[in-house]
Amino acid sequence: MQLINQLKVSEHVIGACPLRRIGDSGPRMRAVECQRGKMAAFRAGLLTRALTKGKTPGISNIILGTRAASGPSKDTLPGPYPTTPEEMAAAAKKYNMTPEDYRPHPDDGMGYGDYPMLPERSQQDRDPWYQWDHPDLRRNWGEPMHWDFDMYIRNRVDTSPSPVDWRTMRNQLLGFMGFMLLMFGLGEMFPCYQPVAPKQYPYGNLYLERGGDPEKEPEAVKHYEI
Amino acid sequence: MADYKAASLATRPKTLDPAEYFNLSPEYRRAEEKRAALRAQLKRQYLQQLNNPHRKELIEDPALTRWTYARTNNNYFRPTAKTSLIGGLFGVLPLFVLYVVFKSDRDKRDAKIKAGTYERPYKLST
Repeated sequence: MQLINQLKVSEHVIGACPLRRIGDSGPRMRAVECQRGKMAAFRAGLLTRALTKGKTPGISNIILGTRAASGPSKDTLPGPYPTTPEEMAAAAKKYNMTPEDYRPHPDDGMGYGDYPMLPERSQQDRDPWYQWDHPDLRRNWGEPMHWDFDMYIRNRVDTSPSPVDWRTMRNQLLGFMGFMLLMFGLGEMFPCYQPVAPKQYPYGNLYLERGGDPEKEPEAVKHYEI
Repeated sequence: MADYKAASLATRPKTLDPAEYFNLSPEYRRAEEKRAALRAQLKRQYLQQLNNPHRKELIEDPALTRWTYARTNNNYFRPTAKTSLIGGLFGVLPLFVLYVVFKSDRDKRDAKIKAGTYERPYKLST
């Protein structure tokens, strides 16, 4: 059981209890007292871990001090950044990579842990004629997935070579966009269209239709100049 | 192939890589063999599970589990100078900047409306 394992790890010498107080009863504390004390300390530790760490275990885990045995075990899941060569070898084996290929992300606190840094290539870049296990994803079973795998699927970002080199593409795009922007800007500054005038209405600028008083004489509206 | 220039944002395909044709060193070949062996083992595991006639459940992929776990649980995030800078730049600064921008724009428009000089861009009535 997880509880017993955790307790065993904490004492290297059989019989030594870390909770010895100065002036206690006799040279060794009674085993039961020691055990109870350790359980209390362990549960307190679990509670603080549950309150402070990000992933909190369920309430049953806190009470019993256990975790479920179903699901992947801790050694198959990603772990912390590997420091020693043995850890690097173990991590390479875990991720199904050769030790020469395995390189973790630099440890700058961004949260990668020991996840491998794979080459930045999209799935579209991979061989279309090879018989992949998952043909639409162009990936084999068990192969380590890139951190940004969901970005590099074939519907999204593509790093495969382009027919024209990037410099030409960029120059053409910027040239076209720049030219169009320039021309539209010039058109705004110097508009040129057929000469137009405001619409001229008869009957004194439609005096009666606009609700003018029929008794009153409207002022004369002249639309011409001689 | 002679004048193919790899774009800076794209990759050279493996079949056009000169190392595949000119690199015959034993170390390179041995590394390739190791990789091929790993791939073959994984393929064998997968095909055994796939072609097992008594299998009723999904074939679970541990690499996928690891990827999901790594992406969703950022256990190894540490506040460092770089991460604090990024967090401040993208999380805290926009709040203040946007507040200042929107408030000043709004205040200018309010002052104009109060003074009566604001010209409404879209006329709602003639």
